[in-house]
Amino acid sequence: MPRSMPDAPTILGAAVKYLEEELMPTLAGYHRFKTRVTINALMTVKREAELRAAQAAGEAERLTALVGHDGEVEALSAELAERIRSGAVSVDDPSLRAHVRQSLADALAINNPKWMAR
Amino acid sequence: MSTGDFAARLGAVVAARIGAPGTISNLQRLTGGANKTTWSFDAEIAGRREEFIVQLSSAGAVEQPNPLADISPHITADEDARLMIAAVRAGVPAPRVRTIFEPADGLGPGYVTERVAGESLGPKIVRDEKFARARSLMTAQCGAILAAIHRIDLAEVPFLPYQDAAQLVAAQYRIADYYGLRHPAVELGLKWSAENAPKNPRRTVVHGDFRTGNFIVGENDGIRLLLDWEIAQSGDPMQDLGWVCVKTWRFGGRGAVGGFGKREDLFAAYENAGGPRVDPKQVRFWEAFGSVKWAIGCLRMGMRGIEETGIERCAIGRRIEEPLWDFLNLIEGRDE
Repeated sequence: MPRSMPDAPTILGAAVKYLEEELMPTLAGYHRFKTRVTINALMTVKREAELRAAQAAGEAERLTALVGHDGEVEALSAELAERIRSGAVSVDDPSLRAHVRQSLADALAINNPKWMAR
Repeated sequence: MSTGDFAARLGAVVAARIGAPGTISNLQRLTGGANKTTWSFDAEIAGRREEFIVQLSSAGAVEQPNPLADISPHITADEDARLMIAAVRAGVPAPRVRTIFEPADGLGPGYVTERVAGESLGPKIVRDEKFARARSLMTAQCGAILAAIHRIDLAEVPFLPYQDAAQLVAAQYRIADYYGLRHPAVELGLKWSAENAPKNPRRTVVHGDFRTGNFIVGENDGIRLLLDWEIAQSGDPMQDLGWVCVKTWRFGGRGAVGGFGKREDLFAAYENAGGPRVDPKQVRFWEAFGSVKWAIGCLRMGMRGIEETGIERCAIGRRIEEPLWDFLNLIEGRDE
């Protein structure tokens, strides 16, 4: 079956457009603040829908190289976390540092892209 | 307790222990959380109108069993007040306590302090043009205030919990495990912190949340008041110097210290005001570990957001990578 249209990012974009352009100007105080938080949260979900699949593919490749076998991203990531805790991987390991840096950059590209420019 | 009952009981306490007639007006709730609520009010004292803050612990509320309670201890309202009294005596601009509630007052644990006017919102303080003069004063003020806090005689505040760096790191591990978090960046942060924790540090009063956002600031005179003493501890004084530099608390402002100052200026002001000699490497440890601690704070907020389906806390949960990114830049020397 073809994917339903419009896709999720488009619908979220339309919802944000209404909240931002029509609702926000009518609000003040508490509800203005909460609506701003809500808009930001919807934008995060929109970026996740747009970016996450490609990021996860890259993350799986990096994790496979780091732990030495393939698997689901979540499981590989948990395994890497345990190896850091046990000391099996050193916190100074350059390939670990590079992986963590890329994973954080990916997550920030979804959650708060402005943070990296600060 | 209804707001009417609260006002009546508060009025009676004010009249009896602060000054007659103690007539209360403008009673307004400012913030309310699970643990405490803050109100502001005015009262007529000997023909003058004075301005006050009242803090109330939610004593009547059913205590939620909290398996993490021993990890991030909050001192009681009574201890909080006693610490602020000791701080004021040491020259710290802490809230001036006017009365501490007693069981017979029927108000639960809490206290009344003098209200101080000014701005506490971080983004305004670090960015607004009108606070430019304040910002130019605040680094030196931070140094002097911290030196005074770290001079408070620990014997006056024996109730403060003590944790050294290694214990504080272990506590963060327990929180991560409680939530079942298995996150490579958090593990990297915790492991680095465990390996770099300073040993045998000096032991003084530690405010524990000394940062922009907890200062009340005046445009022309800078820091007027230091708020939020409830997570004070005793421990390595350098942790207060590191925490004020954590990037989250710069609110987008310029300057590693709180979004307004330079680290070396803070250290010089601290030493000039009689603070112990600063080891910048140790301060850097506390700034790096502080970033990891705040990441785990975001995790806790996010988990509460899921429980409550509250949008604000959910959004904070998604901020976990910000301090981890800052942490990585700090330990790799890529920060400013």
